[in-house]
Amino acid sequence: MVGPLYDFVANPFGAVRLSFEQAVAASPADDPVAVFAGKDWGALDLFRDFLLEKGGLSQVPILDASSRQWIQPNSLVRFRGMVQDMLGKELYIGAFQDGSNWRTNKYSDGALFPMPAGCQSAYESNLWERLLLHCVPVPGHNSWATHSTPPQVFRNVMDNSMYEHGEKRQRDEGIVENNEHGGSPSSKKQKEGEHPCQLNHSSQRSLVQGGFSEPRNGAALSCVIKMYDTPECDLKLNDVFEFIAIYTFDPELVAYKEDADDLTDDLLDDPLMHLPPSKVPRLHCLICRKLAIQDFVSSPLSVELPNMIKGIRGSLLRHLTQVLGNDGLAAECLLLHLLSRLRARVDAVSVGKLSLNLTGFNGETASIFGNRITSAIQSLLPFSQYIPLTVDYLNTATLQPKKNNQTGRLIPGVLQLAQGTHLTIDESHLQPGNLDSNGVHNARLLKKLIEQLSVEYDFEFYTSEMTADVQLLILSDGKSNIMPADLVLPFCPNAVNSIANPSPEELQSWRWYLDTLRSLPYSSQPDLHQMLQDELVAAMREDRSLGCQQLNRWLTMARLISVSFGDGELSLEHWQMFKEIERLRKERIK
Amino acid sequence: MASSDYSSPYGPSSSPDGHSSPIPNTDSSPPIPPSTNGGRRRRRRTPTPNPNSYQTPTRSSIPPTSPLSNPFSTPRRRGTPSTPLSASDAGDEFSDPADPTPVFVWGTNISVPDVNAAILRFLRNFRGPHDDPDSLEQGKYMRAIDRIIQSEAGESVDVDAHDVFDYDPDLYAKMVRYPLEVLVIFELVLMDMVARLDPSYQKHIQPRIFNLKSSVSMRNLNPSDIEKMVSVKGMIIRCSSIIPVVKEAVFRCLICGYYSDPVLLDRGRINEPTRCGRQECLALNSMTLVHNRCSFTDKQIVKLQETPDEIPEGGTPHTVSIIMHGKLVDSGKPGDRVEITGVYRAMSVRVGPTQRTVKSLFKTYIDCLHLKKTDKSRLHIEDPMECDDNSSTKRTASEDDSLDYEDKVEKLKELAKQPDIYDRLTRSLAPNIWELDDVKRGLLCQLFGGSAVKLQVGTSCRGDINILLVGDPGTSKSQLLQYMHKLSPRGIYTSGRGSSAVGLTAYVTKDPETGETVLESGALVLSDRGVCCIDEFDKMSENARSMLHEVMEQQTVSIAKAGIIASLNARTSVLACANPSGSRYNPRLSVIDNIHLPPTLLSRFDLIYLILDKPDEQTDRRLAKHIVALHFENPESIVHDVLDLPTLTAYISYARKHIHPQLSEEAAEKLVCGYVEMRKRGNFPGSGKKVITATARQIESLIRLSEALARMRFSEWVNGKDVDEAFRLLEVAMQQSATDHATGTIDMDLITTGISASERMRRENLLTATRNLVMDKMQLGGPSTRLTELLEELRKQNSFEVHLNDLRNALSTLMSEGIVSLHGDSVKRI
Repeated sequence: MVGPLYDFVANPFGAVRLSFEQAVAASPADDPVAVFAGKDWGALDLFRDFLLEKGGLSQVPILDASSRQWIQPNSLVRFRGMVQDMLGKELYIGAFQDGSNWRTNKYSDGALFPMPAGCQSAYESNLWERLLLHCVPVPGHNSWATHSTPPQVFRNVMDNSMYEHGEKRQRDEGIVENNEHGGSPSSKKQKEGEHPCQLNHSSQRSLVQGGFSEPRNGAALSCVIKMYDTPECDLKLNDVFEFIAIYTFDPELVAYKEDADDLTDDLLDDPLMHLPPSKVPRLHCLICRKLAIQDFVSSPLSVELPNMIKGIRGSLLRHLTQVLGNDGLAAECLLLHLLSRLRARVDAVSVGKLSLNLTGFNGETASIFGNRITSAIQSLLPFSQYIPLTVDYLNTATLQPKKNNQTGRLIPGVLQLAQGTHLTIDESHLQPGNLDSNGVHNARLLKKLIEQLSVEYDFEFYTSEMTADVQLLILSDGKSNIMPADLVLPFCPNAVNSIANPSPEELQSWRWYLDTLRSLPYSSQPDLHQMLQDELVAAMREDRSLGCQQLNRWLTMARLISVSFGDGELSLEHWQMFKEIERLRKERIK
Repeated sequence: MASSDYSSPYGPSSSPDGHSSPIPNTDSSPPIPPSTNGGRRRRRRTPTPNPNSYQTPTRSSIPPTSPLSNPFSTPRRRGTPSTPLSASDAGDEFSDPADPTPVFVWGTNISVPDVNAAILRFLRNFRGPHDDPDSLEQGKYMRAIDRIIQSEAGESVDVDAHDVFDYDPDLYAKMVRYPLEVLVIFELVLMDMVARLDPSYQKHIQPRIFNLKSSVSMRNLNPSDIEKMVSVKGMIIRCSSIIPVVKEAVFRCLICGYYSDPVLLDRGRINEPTRCGRQECLALNSMTLVHNRCSFTDKQIVKLQETPDEIPEGGTPHTVSIIMHGKLVDSGKPGDRVEITGVYRAMSVRVGPTQRTVKSLFKTYIDCLHLKKTDKSRLHIEDPMECDDNSSTKRTASEDDSLDYEDKVEKLKELAKQPDIYDRLTRSLAPNIWELDDVKRGLLCQLFGGSAVKLQVGTSCRGDINILLVGDPGTSKSQLLQYMHKLSPRGIYTSGRGSSAVGLTAYVTKDPETGETVLESGALVLSDRGVCCIDEFDKMSENARSMLHEVMEQQTVSIAKAGIIASLNARTSVLACANPSGSRYNPRLSVIDNIHLPPTLLSRFDLIYLILDKPDEQTDRRLAKHIVALHFENPESIVHDVLDLPTLTAYISYARKHIHPQLSEEAAEKLVCGYVEMRKRGNFPGSGKKVITATARQIESLIRLSEALARMRFSEWVNGKDVDEAFRLLEVAMQQSATDHATGTIDMDLITTGISASERMRRENLLTATRNLVMDKMQLGGPSTRLTELLEELRKQNSFEVHLNDLRNALSTLMSEGIVSLHGDSVKRI
C-alpha cells in the first residue's frame, strides 16, 4: 500500500468503513457479519498503528469547551475525563445490508447511509451493544496538568478546516492553544506571537494568583462516551481515562429529541434524554487508556539516584517552608501528607492515609497562608480542590452524589472525585450558625470521608460506598471537629516572607518526585517489627489515651518519612526521625 | 407521510403495548407464498422509505384466529421471509423461504404440531415428585386447570419451568429459545383443553412460566438474549401508574352514526379514521371515539434495578424496564426484591415523523410473564403461600446451579461439624477488630437469629435479636456495624443523626410525574428480614425513635396518612450503637443516664453491650502486633484461620434458610431453671426490697439466643449447652449494662424504668426525711427558710449523703403534695 486511503484524523469513518468491508469480504460467506458482533474486525489495529506506532497521536486535537467550536463532527478527537456515571448499555443495529454491501453502524450515532427499511426486519442477529459512560473533566484539574501534554501539531487537513472557519476563529481567538509548533507554515504565521508558551505561563499564573478562586472548570465540557467491546468490569466510576474517539454531532438527532413527548417514550425513558447532544457531545471510543497521576506529570527524569531524590526532597522542603512562613515542622508534615496514599483497606481500617489538620488559622494568617498553601499545592499536584467551609456552604452544597431514579442519572456531588485528588478544606471562615438537615448530612459525609476515605453514594433505596483515595488537608483555627484529621499540628509561621518563584524545572522535578514516591512500593523487614511493637507498647503504657488510630498514624508517618527519602523500607533512623517530629509536635500542642 | 405509514393495515407492530395481535402461523396454515411478500415488499419501497417498520406479513394474510390477550403474540420479526437479508441468512438452517414444508414457524425450529403435541403431553402426563406416577389421579397441571375452571377466577396457570425441563428438555429448550411462538401454542393448547373440558368457560388462560433453570444477571443481558425467555432478579425502584391501554377502539361517524370496525392498536397508537367508512357517507373527519365500546387492558412499566450485592465495586447499578400486563400489574412495589421471568425484547427508538435519519438504536425491556418475590436470605417459613407448595420450596433450595450448590452445602456442613465452629465463627466476624469477643458472639447470634413463632391467635413472636452497643468513642463500634452491614444479606446502614422517622419507616409522597400519592419504604422496611444498622442511635430525634417501638416488638410499620392506611412488614433485627451522653461513659451513672434513651425502647434490645476502654497490657501488646502487621505485611496474609466473607455469608444464609432448631427437653428444663434462678437473685438476704432481675422479655431473648446458637452448629435441636451459653451471653451483656452500681446486683428495673431499686429506695428515704424536717421545723405560714439551711439540717440529721439536687427533687414532690411552696431558693410551708 502506498499510503492510507483515508485520513485517520479528519475522516476516521473512512478507516472504519474500509476495514469493515475488507473484513466482510474476507469472512465466510454465509453470515459475514455475525462474527463481528462484540469484537473488533481490525479497525482498531489500524488506528492503533497510526496513533501509537506512527506518532499520529499528536495530530489528534483535544476536545474541550473551546476546541469544540471548530472541531468538525465525525473527526477523531482526544478527550480526557473522569467517568462520572455509567448509563448502562445500548443496543443498536451493528451491521446492515445496503444493496449488496454490508455497512456498519459501529462508532456512529445513526446510520451513515440510509438504512433500507427492510433491513431491520432481520435485525436480531445484527444487534450489537455498546456501553454508555458519562464523562466529565476531572474535578479540580489544575491548569498546568491540562497542558502538560506535548503541544499539538495539526496536519494540513485540520488547518484547512480551520481556514474554512477562519472568520469565526478570528473572533474567538485564544481557543487555539499550543499551536506554535504548527504544521503548515501558513497557519504558523497566523498564530505566531499571539500565544506565549502555555506551560510556563499557566503554571506561573496559578502560583501568582492563588488560582483557586477562578473557576477552573467554568467551561467544563462533559461527554457521553460510547464504549465498544470493553468489558464493563474494566471501567469503574471515577476512573480517569483518555479516550481517542470519534466526535459525532448530528443536528437532526438534536431536533428529534425535542418532540420526544410520546407516552411510551417517557416511561421507557432513557438517561440520555437529559443530556442533549447539543450540550453534551457524543464520542465513540476507539481506544481508551486509564490514566494515573504520572500521565499528567511530564517528563520523568532519567536520574533516580538516592542523593538526587534527597536533593529534590531538600529543595521541595525549602519551598514548602517558605510557603509556610518558615515553619519547618509544618513543612515536614505537609510533605508527608502530600506523599500519603491509601495503601490498603483492611476491613474498615484504611492503611496509608495521612490527613493533616493545620490549626491556628485565623483572620490574618488564614488569608495569607491559606492562599499560599492552596496555590502551592495546585502547582504541585495535578488534581486539587479547595473547599471554603462555611455554614452556608454546608447547608446549600450538594456534596453527595445521588442517583436520580427518575432520570436514571447519577447527579454528581462535590465529593465525587478522581482517585488521587487533593482536597483542601478551609474551615477558617466557619462562623457559628445553624446547620439544617442537609448541612448535618454534608458534615457527616465529610467526616466519613476523612475517617474512612469513602463516600456514600445515594441510590435512593440504599447507599453504596465508593472508595475515594483523596488527600485531605484541613485549615482551621482550632482542632477541627467536623473533620477529625489523622495529624493535627498547630501552625506557627514566624515570618511573612516573599516566595521565590520556583523555576519550571524545579516544579517539574517536584511534581515528578511527589508522584513517583507516592507510588513507591513498600517492602518490609521483619526484624524491625519486634522493636516497633515494643515501642508501641511502651508508648501505650505511658499514655493511656493512645488509641489504635494514633498508633496507626505513627507507623504511617514513619513509613512516609522513609518514603520521602526514596526508601520503601522503614529504617531505624527514620523511625527516630519520626519520633523527633512527633516530640516537636507534642510540644507545640502544649 | 407518517399517516400513510401508520394507517397501513399491516403496519409495524413492534409495540410493547399488550395489544392483541393475531397469532402468526400457529394454526399450521401454510405460510404466505413468497410472492405475496414480494408484492408487499415492493409496495413498501415507496418514495418515502419507512425507517423502522417491522413488517409483519403474516398479519394481513391470516385472519385473526382469536383475539388473545396475550401480549406475546406479536408476530416475530424474524419471520419476515422476504427481505434479501434472510436469503443471505440462509446459514440459518430453519429459514429457507422456499422450503415447501409448512410446519415450521418462520426462522425457528418450531414445528407447530410437534410442539403442540409436546405441550399437550406435558400438561396431561406430568406428575410431580409427590404424585404417584402410576396412580390414575390426574397430574399436577391437569388439577390446576380443573381448579381454574371450577373457581372461574383464574386466568393463568403457573408453570414451573423445572417441571417442563424434567418432563421434556427439548420442549424446555424450545420454550426458552423461542418463547413467543411456544407461548402462543401453549396458550392455544390450554384454550383447547379448557374448551373440551368445559365448553362454557369463556376466559382465556395464559401460561405463566417461572423458575427457569438459570437466571441472568441484569448486567449480562445482551443482544443474544433478545426474544428469549430470561429470568432476572432485582429490586423494583419505580412503578408507573396503571395505564389503561386500548386494545381495540370503535369509532362512530357523527354524521351518519356508522360504527367503524374495531381499530386495533398500532405501535402504541390508535389511528382515528379520517373518513367515514360507509360508502354512502364518506364524510371527512367525522369519526369520534366511542369509549364504552372499546376494550382496554392494564399496563404498567416497572423499573427493575440490580440489587446492591450484585453491583461490582466501583460500578453503578443497571436498570431494566419491565412491562407488566393485565393481572401482573401492581404485583410488585418499589423496594421489593423480585425475580422476573419474561421475554427480553427490543423496540426501536422511534424517529420523529419528519426525520430522514434512521436511528439505529433500540430500547430494551422485558415483557413480564411471571413475578416472584424473592428473598435469598431466609426461607419464608411464616409465609403460608410458600409453604403449601412443597415442591416449589424444594426447588428454591436448588436454585443455584444444582451440582455446584450441593458441593457448597457439603462444605458448609463439613464446617459445621467442627467442634470449634463457634469460636471460629466468632474469630471470623470482623477479624480486624480486636477483643470484644463476647460482643462478637452476640452479633453472631443476631446474624443467625432465632425462629419467629406465629401463634394461632395471629400474634407473632419475633425471632430477630436486637442489640445495642454503647461505648466510648474510638472503640470500633462503628466498624463492627459496618462489618455487620456488609455481612447481613439484606442490611441497611443508617445513621441516627441523618435519619428521620419517616426515612426509617415509611412515608407517603407525591409522585412528581403523576401527582399520585405513593408509599415509599424506609430503611427498616427495606431491611425486612435483614439487619438494620443504626449508628449514633443516641443522636436520633425523639420522634424517630418512638417509631422504633412498634418495629422492634411487633415488627411492622403502620402508616395512616394521606388516605393510605397500611401495615408494612419490618421483620428486621436492629443493631444500634450509641455514644454515652457525656461522650465518655461515666461508670458512676446508670446506663439510662449514660445514654439518653427512653427505657421503653431500651428494654426491647435483647442484648445491651457496653464497650469500654480498659487498660490491659496483654491487649496492648496484641494491638501493637496487629497494627505493625497491618502496616508491614501484606494485608491478605494477616487474616488466617478465619472464614472469608463469602463463606461466612453462605454459612449464615444456609443456616437461616434450612435450620429451624427446636428446644429439646433438656434445654427447656434449663431455661426454666435459669430463669427462676435469675428472678430469685433479686431477693438477696438482708434486704426486704424487691429487685427484678429478669422479665418475660428476657426469657424470650434467651430462647432466641439459644436457637441462634443451635443454628450455628447446624443443629435442629437446641441443647443444654446452647442454653448455658445464652445465659452466659445475656449475663455478660447484662452485667455490664444492668448492674446497679450502688449494690452490684443485676437489676432489670434499671432498664425498664431507668431507676434502680436502691436508687428508688434512697429517694424514698430522703423524701421522708425532708417531710419530717419540714413538719418539725417549719411553722404553717411561717417565715421561709433557705434551701441551704434545710440541706445543712438534713445532713446533720441523717447519715447518708444528700445533694442539693436530691433535695430539690424531694421538695418538688412535697410541693405537689401541697405541703410547701418553693420560690427560688426559699422554702415556705403552707
